[in-house]
Amino acid sequence: MASHGMVYDGCNYFRQRLVLSTLSGKRVKIKNIRSKDDNPGVRDFEASFIRLLDKVTNGSRIEINQTGTVLFYQPGLLSGGTVEHDCHTQRSIGYYLEAILMLAPFMKTPLKATLRGVTNGPTDPTVDLLKSTALPLMKKFGIDGEGFDLKVVKRGMAPGGGGEVIFTCPVRRTIRPLQLTDPGKIKRIRGVAYSVRVSPQMANRMVESARGVLNNFLPDIYIYTDHMKGANSGKSPGFGLTLVAETLNGSFLSAEMVSTPQGQGEPVVPENLGRTCAQLLLEEVYRGGYVDSSNQSLALLLMTLGQQDVSKVLLGTLSPYTIEFLRHIRDFFQVMFKIETQKPLEDERKGGDKVLMTCVGVGYSNINKTLK
Amino acid sequence: MDGKVKKQRPHQQKHSGPKAERKKLKKQGGSTEQDERKRNPKAFAVQSAVRMAKTFHRAQDIKTKKHHIPHVDRTPLEPPPIVIVVVGPPKVGKSTLIRCLIKNFTRQKLGDICGPVTIVSGKKRRLTFMECNNDINTMIDLAKVADLVLMLIDASFGFEMETFEFLNICQVHGFPRIMGVLTHLDSFKNNKTLRKTKKNLKHRFWTEVYQGAKLFYLSGMVYGEYQTQEVKNLGRFISVMKFRPLVWQTSHPYVLVDRMEDLTDPERVRTEPKCDRTVSLYGYLRGTLMKNRGQVHIPGIGDFQVADVNFLPDPCSLPDAQKKRALNEKERLLYAPMAGVGGVVYDKDAVYIDLPAGHVKQQQEEVRPTTELVQSLIDTHATLDTKMAGSRMSLFSGSAGLEPSEVDEESRAIQGLQETHVWDPHTKRNRRKVVFTEEEQEEEEEDSSDDEDGGSEEYDQEEQGDDEDEENLSTFLRKERVRSKTEALPAKRPKLEEEGGAERLVFADSEDELQSEEEDGRARDSGHCSEEEEDEEEDASEDEEEDDAAEAAANNQTMSDEEEEEDEGALRWKEGLQLKASQAFLRQQQAAPNLRKLVYGAVAKAEGSEEEDEEEEELGGLFRVSRPQNSKKLEANAVDCSRFHGDSSHDWESEEMLNSIRDCFVTGKWDDGQDAAVLLKEDEELYGDFEDLETGEVHAGQSGLQGSAEQNSDSDGDDGDNGEAGESVEVDDEVQKNKRLEKKRRLKERFNEEYDDGDATYFDDLKEEMQKQAELNRAEFQDVDDDTRVQYEGFRPGMYIRLEISSVPCELVTNFDPHYPIILGGLGSAEGNIGYLQMRLKKHRWHGRILKTRDPLILSLGWRRFQTIPLYHIEDHNGRHRLLKYTPQHMHCGATIWGPVTPQGTGFLAVQSVTGSTANFRIAATGVVLDLDKSVTIVKKLKLIGHPYKIYKNTCFIKDMFNTMLEVAKFEGASIRTVSGVRGQIKKALSTPPGAYRATFEDRLLMSDIVFLRSWYPVSVPQLYNPVTSLLLPVGQKDQWGGMRTLGQLKHDLGIRNNPNTDSLYKPVVRAQRRFNPLHIPRQLQKALPFKSKLKQQQPKGKTPRDLQRPSVIREPHERKVAALLHALSAVHHHRKKKAHAVQHAKHKEFLQQKDKQEEAKLLRQKEARKKLYRVMGQMDRKKQRSSLKGAAQDQ
Repeated sequence: MASHGMVYDGCNYFRQRLVLSTLSGKRVKIKNIRSKDDNPGVRDFEASFIRLLDKVTNGSRIEINQTGTVLFYQPGLLSGGTVEHDCHTQRSIGYYLEAILMLAPFMKTPLKATLRGVTNGPTDPTVDLLKSTALPLMKKFGIDGEGFDLKVVKRGMAPGGGGEVIFTCPVRRTIRPLQLTDPGKIKRIRGVAYSVRVSPQMANRMVESARGVLNNFLPDIYIYTDHMKGANSGKSPGFGLTLVAETLNGSFLSAEMVSTPQGQGEPVVPENLGRTCAQLLLEEVYRGGYVDSSNQSLALLLMTLGQQDVSKVLLGTLSPYTIEFLRHIRDFFQVMFKIETQKPLEDERKGGDKVLMTCVGVGYSNINKTLK
Repeated sequence: MDGKVKKQRPHQQKHSGPKAERKKLKKQGGSTEQDERKRNPKAFAVQSAVRMAKTFHRAQDIKTKKHHIPHVDRTPLEPPPIVIVVVGPPKVGKSTLIRCLIKNFTRQKLGDICGPVTIVSGKKRRLTFMECNNDINTMIDLAKVADLVLMLIDASFGFEMETFEFLNICQVHGFPRIMGVLTHLDSFKNNKTLRKTKKNLKHRFWTEVYQGAKLFYLSGMVYGEYQTQEVKNLGRFISVMKFRPLVWQTSHPYVLVDRMEDLTDPERVRTEPKCDRTVSLYGYLRGTLMKNRGQVHIPGIGDFQVADVNFLPDPCSLPDAQKKRALNEKERLLYAPMAGVGGVVYDKDAVYIDLPAGHVKQQQEEVRPTTELVQSLIDTHATLDTKMAGSRMSLFSGSAGLEPSEVDEESRAIQGLQETHVWDPHTKRNRRKVVFTEEEQEEEEEDSSDDEDGGSEEYDQEEQGDDEDEENLSTFLRKERVRSKTEALPAKRPKLEEEGGAERLVFADSEDELQSEEEDGRARDSGHCSEEEEDEEEDASEDEEEDDAAEAAANNQTMSDEEEEEDEGALRWKEGLQLKASQAFLRQQQAAPNLRKLVYGAVAKAEGSEEEDEEEEELGGLFRVSRPQNSKKLEANAVDCSRFHGDSSHDWESEEMLNSIRDCFVTGKWDDGQDAAVLLKEDEELYGDFEDLETGEVHAGQSGLQGSAEQNSDSDGDDGDNGEAGESVEVDDEVQKNKRLEKKRRLKERFNEEYDDGDATYFDDLKEEMQKQAELNRAEFQDVDDDTRVQYEGFRPGMYIRLEISSVPCELVTNFDPHYPIILGGLGSAEGNIGYLQMRLKKHRWHGRILKTRDPLILSLGWRRFQTIPLYHIEDHNGRHRLLKYTPQHMHCGATIWGPVTPQGTGFLAVQSVTGSTANFRIAATGVVLDLDKSVTIVKKLKLIGHPYKIYKNTCFIKDMFNTMLEVAKFEGASIRTVSGVRGQIKKALSTPPGAYRATFEDRLLMSDIVFLRSWYPVSVPQLYNPVTSLLLPVGQKDQWGGMRTLGQLKHDLGIRNNPNTDSLYKPVVRAQRRFNPLHIPRQLQKALPFKSKLKQQQPKGKTPRDLQRPSVIREPHERKVAALLHALSAVHHHRKKKAHAVQHAKHKEFLQQKDKQEEAKLLRQKEARKKLYRVMGQMDRKKQRSSLKGAAQDQ
């Protein structure tokens, strides 16, 4: 009766597999999770992720073997509602939020998730980045309206954490197909320079140096400084910068940089951080496309889950994460993307090659939503 | 000809008379409409704003009512045949009608109608006929796939229950078009009764379908067939009919199977007759796109995973586009393999030839020549078919398809590859490109052509060089490559070349290395490869065959080499521009498929990759191939992170790099179509001239020579980019002016169009959007070949496909009956799972009895028919779902079942049994799915009863309600009540006796009171999901599916009588006589009572004693006379006195009146006199006053 499950090896792309499994209703088995490692099995942050998944779903079955090297997941139905979760501090909230963003529109009741932990970590996209890029992207797909918001209540830097975000998202029955082929030119650059438990001057220093790089291109640059104090400042000191470039057609490209966590390697000078971050943004602009590199998979997923119509999106260079995501989409939804490379013309100065992704949606409809 | 044209008399205009006058007036005084408005403004004034609003609202309402929600039109260019289901009770003429229609369309006669019959009915239309027998299972299945229903009704009998049942089934599963056909009309002898019957039947039919539904009359039979003209008319109706898409059908792919083959190994079947079979099912795909390896449900059997899907050439294709009105005989195709028509049928690796041995009605058989040679010949014949080219090759039927990769591998082992250095201007370094040696390339080509001959399914873009164009292209490419290799290498190359030579050896026998190296790279930077490496992979991964991995040392070497090359390359990027151009071209040729290959691998292989991997693992079932998979393992367990780290080679300090993205910003250069300066200039040209109405000044646009000169200077000053544009404007005035006028006119037209379109509503916009999407859908994959297209989109509706399904129960094959339809219903992504479904249900008003909770019920939901146990419930006002024992009689209620996950909004129907046929209406209930969940909360009422055992004022100790302290603790604070209505609360558990507790009440309880606690107890839904496997039953018993029986049926079948509760039995009521004691009031109280309420002690008055009784007097006659006289006299006297009194009274009244009058007169007189007196007195007073004033004045 039930559909055949998927079997995968290794803990990489852990979230993709579980998220796609939840959405498609196919069970998944992940074997050999760090089986050759000195410390085998799922890590704490992954366990925390599984717990979060368990909180937003109803009736899912999760089995982990004794050593933690084999995980079996049979998805339930997404229920949503009010969820509170203490994310593990090994990874930042972005790690969890990326997955929640993919699931949130397909819940039974609108989601209100309170996530606590590291808001700005060095490995994962920070909540500021997701707020400024992923949310507008989802709005394009018709997930908007009242109660679509990501609010940073407290900021918590890397090793200690102590941050808190509230993510609310309405539910949708269907996702509309989109053709996002022309990003347009960048009209403005915005950003947030944040600092906690360090001198508030750090933020200004970052802004100064970032502007120095970006002013070559555009005068319309505004970088907010955000210094949180007291109870809202988390447990560890640190600072960082998130830059977002907005184009005429409403696409957002972003880059970010966070100071090295306390007690983990060489400390960074704010000026250097600002400059590097600005250069990362330029790199992102060079890659180009309608969606920036960290949100490629989100865009592709929403295209896949659209109506049975043609959707298109222009991307920059595909990141390895996205490539794996494409494979997973094929496994779970049998959707293959038509991938066309667009070379820039000879006299154009618009960065590197772009990739035009085309697909036909699977005609997914939210089976969790209640009919009244 | 021209000369002969008759010249018409010119029109003579009137110059005088009323007509001329009117015309003159009209010419002077504007339009009459305006005039009338001016002349009679009242007639055009707004009389009532409310009324105006009302009319406006009404107009809008009517307009909006016409709208349907717009859908994206997803109908394919070549739609699948229309499914026409012919329904009706037995012996009504269904088969005859199908035979007649087929004869009408194709001029062919068909004997028994078995299974679907597909015919070409017109240039754009194909039809599939399917007969529906009298089994309710078939009726349910066919209602779900029908596009048009021909509902046959025996007019001599009237409507039968089956007709109404089918109509109700249709209503639940989306209403297909329904056309009624009345037969047996020749049995009416009387014309009047015929007319009356027709009318009655028509009106009843209309109330069921819709007012004005088409009802067709087939008047009579001629030689066992219906009249040709009538059948022809019916055929015309069918071929022009339009259909509205139904929700379920348009969102699910489905196939009405018209052919089935058993693919199981015959040997296995021989040894093990009951083994699970592998079958291939054929049919036109309908509904929507179907993905490969999806899940399907076959109603009557169960859920299956599709092992493989292929598309086959259309066996009943539409004629090619021709400008002809009718079809010729050859194009009137008929395809009905189950009915034994169709002749030769092709499979992907075999041909089936049907031998019509004297019209024996039998399944077509596989005809396999015994000699291998002949067999292979037939096979090659099949594969030579051009349309079959896409499928996998197999030399011998039954063997697995041969992989072209195997051939490749061998050739590679012999030949080896060479590399060339290709200069990449993009990344500014030299890159190593795999180039096949001349011979090998040829061989590859041969391979590929071989493959194609063999019908290889392997997808490879580069191996499709069959047609000449591509051949030319490939030779060109080859030349280019050779040239690039030999001629134009950058100057410093030779030394590196030598190094490359050493490299080549390593590279030659394993081109896979780069990939592994790149994987190393990935592992290094936490699962991310840089852009360069990716590009490299694009180049290198020509063929992703698993070879042995190479030594790490070699890897390192290549790596370091590359770095060196990179360093040198950075200096000399300007050299060899031509070479670069050619190389860029080469890359472009390869980039697209390679990126695809990078992501998805070789696609054909990927189809079976999982199995292959597992096969590879073991050698001979004994040994496991051990291979170093470190890199892969590392990647598999790398950090899961979506961040894409930047390319370290990009130096964002350098001006060059910065310049490369200049145009991404608004400050950069714009396209001509968007550049503000260019657009402004164009506008200037168009709208430059205008007249300032206030000053009367005329501003001329830059026209003519002057304009062009200005333009010149303008653009020169502007930015130099567009400077050339102005110089070319050396044309004379006239032409330019005309051009400009023309342009202006067009713009104006466009503006008008848009402006008139001003009342485009939201609806129009939405419709337009849908239209655009539909066009995009059609255009996107139009020029992709079918093999590739199928991978991107899935199989399109309209394709003739073959689905392979393994592990099907053997009964499907052994008990196969072509009269029963096999339907493959595709399932959505989560629709294969099981969970709880909450539904809204209503008992059908024609079903005799109400339904009982926990009685098994057979539901038809989505594609499925299954038996399940529903719980009925109703929602209370506070959102609680309360269990009901029975469905309400005329109301909706909730129902919860354990069943297959189906999207909300899907309709369902329920029957109590599918066995045989009963006289009653079988559809028990209908409804709709509301919600899906993995848990349910249905509760039933539970009353816990206890008794007080100690009472202190309002506090009580209550026992018998619970058993332990723990139970009580759970209910602390709960409200309780007595039967008499005294409310209270549970306070605290007592240690002894167990389960007793202390409670307080609002009043003192009695020992005889019963205390109860109202609570709600969750009920669990029984997890029964039992698909109706009616298709697996033996032939002739397919409508005998039993399933689970209800308790009532079980008791009935087993002869168990219900033992009623003895207390519930009725007995004669024996009532004792009631006696009432007299009322006793205490003496003390009696004393205190007021007299009124006091008990009356006196005895009623008795008889007067005799001595007190007085005797009656009896008068003498004389005395009587005297008395009578006296009486009369007194009466007279009385009368007289009365009269006198009346007279006296009247007199006195008159007197009183007179007296009154006199009194009045007297008063009047007195008043006059008083008046006089007062006047005099007043005058005197005044005099006195005046005199006193005078006096005073005199005094002074």
